[in-house]
Amino acid sequence: MAAVIETKGLSKVYGDVTALDSVSLSVEKGTLFGLLGPNGSGKTTMIKVLTGQIRPTGGFATVLGLDAEKEGIRVREKVGIIPEQESPPSFLTAMEYLEFVGAVRKIPDIGERAEKWFELLEFGDKKDVLCKDLSRGTRQKLMFAQAFIHEPVLALIDEPLINLDPVMQDVVKEFLSDYVRKGNTIFVSTHILEVAEEICSRFAILHKGKLLHAGSVADVTAGGGHLPGFFLSLVRKGGHA
Amino acid sequence: MPDLFSCLMKEEWRMHSTMFGSISFALFPVMIFGIVFMGSFLLPLLSVAFPAGDLVFLAHASFLLLGFMVGGFGLLGNEMMNRRFGQASLLVYSSRSLPLSERFIFTNFVVKDIVYYFFLWVLPFGGGYIAASPFLGVPLSRALLLLLTLSLSFLLGLCVVFLLSSLYVRSKAACLLIVIFLGIAGGVYTIWSGTNPTLLFPPYLLYSAFSWMMFLGTTIAVVTMFLASVVLFSPEGTGLSRTYRRRLGRLARVLSFLPESPIVAKDFLDLSRSGIGIGQALFSFVLPLVVIWFFLSLLRSSFPPNGLVVIFSLTAGIIASTIYTWVTEFDSFGPYSCLPVAVSTLIAGKMTTFLFLQVLPAVFIGTVAGISAGPEMIAPAIVLCLSISIYAAAVMAFLCGLSPSVLVYDVRVLLTYLVLDGVALVLFAAVSFASSLYAFLSVFLLFPAYLLFRAAGARWDARDPAGI
Repeated sequence: MAAVIETKGLSKVYGDVTALDSVSLSVEKGTLFGLLGPNGSGKTTMIKVLTGQIRPTGGFATVLGLDAEKEGIRVREKVGIIPEQESPPSFLTAMEYLEFVGAVRKIPDIGERAEKWFELLEFGDKKDVLCKDLSRGTRQKLMFAQAFIHEPVLALIDEPLINLDPVMQDVVKEFLSDYVRKGNTIFVSTHILEVAEEICSRFAILHKGKLLHAGSVADVTAGGGHLPGFFLSLVRKGGHA
Repeated sequence: MPDLFSCLMKEEWRMHSTMFGSISFALFPVMIFGIVFMGSFLLPLLSVAFPAGDLVFLAHASFLLLGFMVGGFGLLGNEMMNRRFGQASLLVYSSRSLPLSERFIFTNFVVKDIVYYFFLWVLPFGGGYIAASPFLGVPLSRALLLLLTLSLSFLLGLCVVFLLSSLYVRSKAACLLIVIFLGIAGGVYTIWSGTNPTLLFPPYLLYSAFSWMMFLGTTIAVVTMFLASVVLFSPEGTGLSRTYRRRLGRLARVLSFLPESPIVAKDFLDLSRSGIGIGQALFSFVLPLVVIWFFLSLLRSSFPPNGLVVIFSLTAGIIASTIYTWVTEFDSFGPYSCLPVAVSTLIAGKMTTFLFLQVLPAVFIGTVAGISAGPEMIAPAIVLCLSISIYAAAVMAFLCGLSPSVLVYDVRVLLTYLVLDGVALVLFAAVSFASSLYAFLSVFLLFPAYLLFRAAGARWDARDPAGI
């Protein structure tokens, strides 16, 4: 299968802090790939580098065949992104924000598409409320809608279930699994390991910016093991290394 | 109160120092001190063209203006602060998590602003002059008095803005009525007495002829305005779910001839729905310029014919350039980072909105020039004001990208800004003094402005954007 994300020796240093330390990774088309790691392990930095929001200090990354560093705008045209902190513009209504996204992404039938998302995520009653007045959960739904509204072949999403109630988490998990079944790819960063085990087919573990492991979820669970246990043993070992 | 106050002070310091380094920020008051100290030695030369009293007058007007500016920025709401500084949990918005009332926090916040900016701006300025006074033969008591009266000017400006903005939140109509009433009262007094009302500005009077009674009266006025602003303070509403009519799509279609029409349309909605548009226009543009006009008009005799309008147009141009900070205050790059938008595109969008909003200074300066110097000065004044404004905004965009109100405290940025703007101001003041027709030459500033704007895009695209 073709790789939609490929990194070689990818590094990012902020002053004295090494957020990514020579990470080499490959994500194949049609996978729901989980990037796991404790807080501060470099997951969010990885997504930012992959989507051209920030530049790597070493190595390189290609996303959908594009150089993430030099062609960041083209990468962001093609992919969908949910950033770590939900941040729709304060003084647009929820509907206007999706219209704004549609205008920037040049989506012709944005109204119809937006209505589908309001229905799926059950927040149609909030479409004319300013984003600043929305609850955290509703903002997260809105950020989810903007990431998928142009039906990207690849979505990079950072903690997508955070702030969502259990019912909505279920809807989102279902959607993600369906989306991948249609041949798309999802790169999800999370530290909710149970969710990763439930929905991801492949995963990688980052710790202190280093890649500790990359492999298939099925390999871990085959012998009755679980991802949380595997993760904890690896991170604790890595932490003492 | 002391605990919260000291935490607010630390927070303000860290907010600034983490952006461009503690040393660079700590050098800011040192730089002010140095500039004033060295500048003081030019006073004997300057006094040939300007009477010393006029310079003192200008210094008081500047500190009144500084008070307006500091007060205006300090009162930006929670949403503004979050968008500017990321998901910042500023102490001033902590009443929901701490057992402290919003009024108590606001009181501490105002006191913090007074103390912090006193040490950042006022003391270094006064200190520079005090340090130079023995070399200039100025009695130390006069130098100390200047520090006192400049401090009072700053405090008056700050407390006026806090009071008016407290009123503004409670009743926009009442606030507007008071501003109109004060404007009419000033006009009536001018016509009736034939005297410029700014001559009654208490700190200036105090410096000219100190009396304990006037000092007491001025102090009582400052304290009364401070207390009134605290009593009238009403926290911004949260948790409201008011619905709004959809306007973005229609607005973007109207502006579709622009390459960044959705961004410009969004800016207009931001300005209108946040109330910042009207608030800034009033507190950061019209009010300071009306005050400056009254102050400058006292110096009319020091200028050549039409020189007052020229100087006022240049001043209005610099203040109009700060409209770029209004449109960048709403957001950092963060909300756009998930979209195919480059920093340069965002700067271009903000600059386009800025250009639209130049209608406000154009109308304002045209009206003032028409009334004070006759119709023949309207066009030169507008051209001079807008050229300077656009040039200064381009300098700001080049030096600060999308964070002009933050990076201004970086010593290197501020020095470069002052030099680049200063050269243009001196040059076009000189040629326009020679003939008001030469004011039209200022359109040539649009070339460097364009080049700076292009360079700003390339410069800020090449850096990791702030706010993500």
